[in-house]
Amino acid sequence: MAFFEGKSGALVSLQDMRPSSPFFKQGTSVRIIGKLHEYSSETGLATVIDGNDILKVSTEHLKDLKFQVGSVYQFIGELLIRTDNEGVLQAHVGRNVDGIDLNLYHQSLLLLKQFQANHLNNSAT
Amino acid sequence: MQQNKNPFPISLHNTHVKLLAFDLLTLTPPISPNHSFTRNSIPITRAETVGTITLRDHKPFKFLRFAIDDGTGCIPCILWLNHMTSPHLARRRSPQDLCLLADAAARSAEVVKVGNVARVRGRVTEYKGGVQITVTDVISERDPNVEVLHWVECVNLARNCYNLVNVSSSSGSGSGSGSVVPKLN
Repeated sequence: MAFFEGKSGALVSLQDMRPSSPFFKQGTSVRIIGKLHEYSSETGLATVIDGNDILKVSTEHLKDLKFQVGSVYQFIGELLIRTDNEGVLQAHVGRNVDGIDLNLYHQSLLLLKQFQANHLNNSAT
Repeated sequence: MQQNKNPFPISLHNTHVKLLAFDLLTLTPPISPNHSFTRNSIPITRAETVGTITLRDHKPFKFLRFAIDDGTGCIPCILWLNHMTSPHLARRRSPQDLCLLADAAARSAEVVKVGNVARVRGRVTEYKGGVQITVTDVISERDPNVEVLHWVECVNLARNCYNLVNVSSSSGSGSGSGSVVPKLN
């Protein structure tokens, strides 16, 4: 059963990656989406942005992905919180999602979370 | 939650029900090996999901296990690749059928790569006490909006269809017994 014990990457926005967020915890599995702002092939560190929010992503495990500044990427991975309290996503899955409708994405995310919360509340009662 | 208000008989039996992972993974286990998983007492025999492939374990000519993450959970999937070596299947299918099934499974296996987004359909089965999908087909999805559209479709179907199915009409057998229906495969 160990093979299937992989945690799902919780759907979060870059806003949820601020230190004040409940998702900002060591090892949290998350799925984020953002525009590539910077990429260093030497360090494998990518910086993605969404509005005013920014997150560093370690891409050392993503061998086949090509990085292009300005393109939109989705990453799934675990959050590593460094000693300076900066979060770096250790991505194990990534893909280019140029063409995604970000308005639809964010609205659907809200709908999905609301549905999930209602469903779980109903199951509990 | 709205339930049992739909006057029209709808059956989910043998329908590829589109469920989000968290919903699929919390289906009620079958009461015996001859019964199906249920959702709100409605038998669910088949499912369809869309998500990112995050794990992969390939045993050539035996099986390909993988996990598909739709953002609400990780669904274990198994794609059998033993059509040409299984005595069980050899007794039940013609060699021509087995060749076609083996080819289809091999084509599906090619799509299963970590990081790919795929649409997976199959039977809802039990493995070590949990839900898994025994895969019948896998389709690679390239549209970046496809996962979002799947979320919306799942929420819409749950609210306007699956939550409204009458237990008594869910078997599709016409018996209207209202009891849990034995699965056919």
